[in-house]
Amino acid sequence: MNANLKETILNPIFKGNPITVLVLGICSSLAVTVEMKGALVMALSVTIVTGLSSFVLSLLRNTIPNRVRIIVQLVVVALMVILVDQVLKAYAYGIDKQLSVYIGLIITNCIVMGRIEAFALGNKPIPSLLDGLANGVGYGLILIVVSFFRELFGSGTLFGLRIIPESFYAAGYMNNGLVILPPMALILIGCIIWIQRGIQKDLQEK
Amino acid sequence: MNTNGNAYTVIYSTIIVVLVAAILAYASMALKPKQDANAKAETISQMLTAAQFYSKEECSSMGNDKVLEAYSKNIKSAFAINAQGQKIRDLSTDVNKIELIDNLKAQDNNIRGKKDVELPVYIFTKDGKDVTVVPCYGAGLWGPIWGYLAFSQDDKTFVGAYFDHASETPGLGAKIKDDPSFRAEFVGKAADYNASPIFSIVKGGAPKDQQNAIDAITGATMTSKGLSAAIDTWLAAYKPYLSNNGSAPAMTSAQPADTTAAPADTADIK
Amino acid sequence: MEYLNLFIKSIFVDNMIFAYFLGMCSYLAVSKNVKTASGLGLAVIFVLFVTLPINYLLNKYVLLPGALSWLGDSFKDVDLSFLSFIIFIAVIAAITQLVEMVVEKFAPALYASLGIYLPLIAVNCAILGGSLFMQNKDFVNVGESAVYALGSGIGWFLAIVTLAAIREKMQYSNVPPALKGIGITFITVGLMAMAFMTFMGISL
Repeated sequence: MNANLKETILNPIFKGNPITVLVLGICSSLAVTVEMKGALVMALSVTIVTGLSSFVLSLLRNTIPNRVRIIVQLVVVALMVILVDQVLKAYAYGIDKQLSVYIGLIITNCIVMGRIEAFALGNKPIPSLLDGLANGVGYGLILIVVSFFRELFGSGTLFGLRIIPESFYAAGYMNNGLVILPPMALILIGCIIWIQRGIQKDLQEK
Repeated sequence: MNTNGNAYTVIYSTIIVVLVAAILAYASMALKPKQDANAKAETISQMLTAAQFYSKEECSSMGNDKVLEAYSKNIKSAFAINAQGQKIRDLSTDVNKIELIDNLKAQDNNIRGKKDVELPVYIFTKDGKDVTVVPCYGAGLWGPIWGYLAFSQDDKTFVGAYFDHASETPGLGAKIKDDPSFRAEFVGKAADYNASPIFSIVKGGAPKDQQNAIDAITGATMTSKGLSAAIDTWLAAYKPYLSNNGSAPAMTSAQPADTTAAPADTADIK
Repeated sequence: MEYLNLFIKSIFVDNMIFAYFLGMCSYLAVSKNVKTASGLGLAVIFVLFVTLPINYLLNKYVLLPGALSWLGDSFKDVDLSFLSFIIFIAVIAAITQLVEMVVEKFAPALYASLGIYLPLIAVNCAILGGSLFMQNKDFVNVGESAVYALGSGIGWFLAIVTLAAIREKMQYSNVPPALKGIGITFITVGLMAMAFMTFMGISL
């Protein structure tokens, strides 16, 4: 049981990473990877939503009428997302504004529904909670790696703090404007997948 | 238990819906005052930044209450005008019930649709002189952009400006908000109410001797264009009020009637 | 002219996939061949076109602060905007269900080709994203929201069909083993997005 639990937590972070291996939840959230601050908040929000909705739906799993299963899931997920959105609006107003519609889009983030369907509906609440949280973390990890490169090379800053010194700019260094634009997020993820599959040969597709 | 029966399904769905609605209504009611205060403080700090009372960083470190205090300490009068430039009502400036007109989006639609408008004018006192702050609103490349323009006593010369946006490209279009040197370009420039456009942001650099234009942001052509149009549209809406230096509507008596105090170089464009 | 501008813009400039990454999951999963890709693409156009105007009306007359004022003065201050996510997703889920039943009953041929995708679509980010973006933009009437929905849907359709065509051809290419499949697809989409950026700034 303990080994099982450990597997539940560790698997989604690298070997079964929701983005690079399961290819879930790329949807909207890439758009918030231009700056690390936004990516971090998005990662936290997704983690909380996935964890809590997995937990709640796992508690309810034996009572949900089959015919309205998807709707009940959507309602619970939407409830969590709205709560996160409201709390952010009250306590982190600037960041909520920056994330704008993407917070709402967590509802249809395939990770959340995917984990509920694949795990929470067949397991006890505590492992479901852990599974949800771990998937959120694995997902957040990729967001943060992508945003690290995009912010560093696109704006020369990390978390808004200047990393590339002014003297570089004086010497003719320029920020790479392309990194900030949407296409580079996709190409960066492609590269991350390339590296991961180079290391873990068993993940390669034929 | 049979979880597939009709009655069960209906009762279950009803309970879930009621429960969720109750939780949401509670959360929304509990957090609403805080959210509204955030929004209000945000708008006010944009005005204070535009009028050069504080920098953007100072405002965000002040906290909501201090921002509200700073507003009601420095404001002289706030009121709404109509399309003819006449004052239609006062806005409360009392620290406990500060009243703003921040439905810029709706006002923007009204301006463009030539419908009735209710445009806010905020007059601050800074170093003994009046600073008039008015908003502007328009479309950028990806979403709406808006901001506040601050004029000196002659209602023409800029003492500052502040802009914000919903989703412009970071590092490019987002510079309208993030780059203080872009905002600093406005200082000393002046609107020309007889020209068209009244004020513009010019790609490739504004002519040095032109008073009512500044340079666009490199690499952010569409955002600059959108901002230029937003400023021009809104200043045109304010023209009846601002071009008469606030003296046309009879009710604002505090303004000096003559405009000779204005810096000479703002008078015309060569 | 306004409508044409909005239409072109929502297809090419504000493309759901290339500019906002909306609906990526099904985009990557169902783009292995052109036939299924166009099936899903059509379903997305259809559902967007039906749900977005409905959500627009709901937003305007129920959800926004003061939107309920048509019920009388006492409802003037009601602000239900916190419910918008849940209402939008409920409308989308209900409409897809309804559409599925109607299509099955009256157009079995269409159902045979679209049917399997309809349930998938309720959780497609592009549909909810369309409604949320609609809330963010200043559409003045239902017509604009419908044009936006149609344009976005066609943009999505275009994106998935072109990707599927490229992927069909790519089967015969010699891709590094670690990049095969999803890796090279991401990079391809990135390059396509770059190509679409040339439309940026278009204004009619």
